[in-house]
Amino acid sequence: MTLEIVVYESVTLFDLLMVTLILIIAGIIAKGVALNLRKVLRDKVSKEHLEILAKTIYYSIIGIAVLSVLPILGVPPSGLLVAGGIAGIVIGFASKSVVGNLISGLFLMIERPMKLGDAVNIAGTAGVVEDIHIISTTLRTFDGLYVRIPNEKVFTSDIMDYVAHVARRLEYIIGIRYSDDADKAIGIIRKLSEEHPLTLKHPAGDIFVDNLGDNAVNIMVRIWVPSPEWYGVKKELLWKIKTALEAEGIEIAFPQRTIWFANELTSRGSAHNLPDSDSS
Amino acid sequence: MYRYYDAPFKIVKDGISLTLEQEGERLLYRSVYADKRVEKILLADRGKVLINPIEPLNKPRELTSYLLIEFERTLVVEPGSTKSIFVTYPIEIGVFIAGSNQFELIDILTLAKQKFTLYGDPRSGVICKYWKSEVYSSIPAVNPLHEGIIELSITNTTTGWVEVTKAIFNAYGMKIYYNDNLVSMRATMKIMSGRSAETDFVDAPLEEGMKKSLELYTVRRLPVVAPKFVMEVGI
Repeated sequence: MTLEIVVYESVTLFDLLMVTLILIIAGIIAKGVALNLRKVLRDKVSKEHLEILAKTIYYSIIGIAVLSVLPILGVPPSGLLVAGGIAGIVIGFASKSVVGNLISGLFLMIERPMKLGDAVNIAGTAGVVEDIHIISTTLRTFDGLYVRIPNEKVFTSDIMDYVAHVARRLEYIIGIRYSDDADKAIGIIRKLSEEHPLTLKHPAGDIFVDNLGDNAVNIMVRIWVPSPEWYGVKKELLWKIKTALEAEGIEIAFPQRTIWFANELTSRGSAHNLPDSDSS
Repeated sequence: MYRYYDAPFKIVKDGISLTLEQEGERLLYRSVYADKRVEKILLADRGKVLINPIEPLNKPRELTSYLLIEFERTLVVEPGSTKSIFVTYPIEIGVFIAGSNQFELIDILTLAKQKFTLYGDPRSGVICKYWKSEVYSSIPAVNPLHEGIIELSITNTTTGWVEVTKAIFNAYGMKIYYNDNLVSMRATMKIMSGRSAETDFVDAPLEEGMKKSLELYTVRRLPVVAPKFVMEVGI
């Protein structure tokens, strides 16, 4: 029969079909288990832990299936160690970057410098961590682009995680006119900060005259907010500060220069066109 | 205000306006309070709605499951003693639609001031909902739409006098009871050292005849975290 055709050594075509079938079934089962796991645990486990769990189970099932079909292919699992050692050296030289990325991926999963969904900046690319694969890490930039970064680059680059800590400080420098009352301005800004529900009570905000600039008295505003709310509060609060200060007669200073002339100036308008008050 | 309502109904109280109207074969839910307005269309056969106080950690956003209550005046607790005090906490009102033995949250309202704080440092601390309360020796008279009462039993297990300025509670352990005049919880605080304590809740009403609130933090998800809170960086 066709199925009994020997492909190599004692492995027949039937064996190859059997192996293929087992791997396909294992793949379907692994996918199904991972999918159901995501569904069942979606509300109970954090997205990051769920992804790690689902991936571990997925690759475990695939791994077990691969190991179980090796004897059918005439490869005893014990022989795999020797073959694996030699193959490892060969593959290692042939695919240095792939192995490098793989190892880096494993270290990233152990070290966990960032979590799925974190806003990060990796090697100058800022975005939200979409997934940490075994070979690469994918980001969704803030303008919606998909960026794939090899794990070796991720592992060796500076990673800035904007939300790794639960709280983050935002900072403004508000320049008011020299003629304005800086204490009053500080009071207005402090009141606004305290009234905002998303600014933190502790650590308390730090608002003070930072320096006497060329054109303005510069007030430093430092306020702590929960990290996920940092951007929203930063956008919202600045305009509120500006309008609140203006409502109290305090204006944001703009560059200006006072020029003194040695001689009194007379304009053409005042010399020829102004009505003579005595003649009326 | 806290009870079951059948559609149609209209409640106007303390600046809160809640209505559920029949519009043909659908129900129109509307809530108006402060400067907030919510409108939802309910495609349901029955218009049965439950309004009760819920864990005060959902407004303006659900950022944390911890509530930090700072005391207006510092408590100094005798070694080896157990004393009870009463403090207030902010009220959040949950509106649930009831049907087929299931409750679905459709709205949350609050008249209380919203504020957050950090307990610990930015790296290892936790964000908490913030509330400042006076310390009372008996149940104070408060508006149950604005404030609830926590009876806090403080046990000092140490051999020295301990100062207590705040307590942090985990929403997953909260057991809220209510009647027409009072919304309450009962909690415990076990002081383990001058800087650490453990807080927990007692599943019991403060007064007889109080009804138990539908717990939002167990309705929406199974508690996979311990309902207690261990204050490790200062009390």
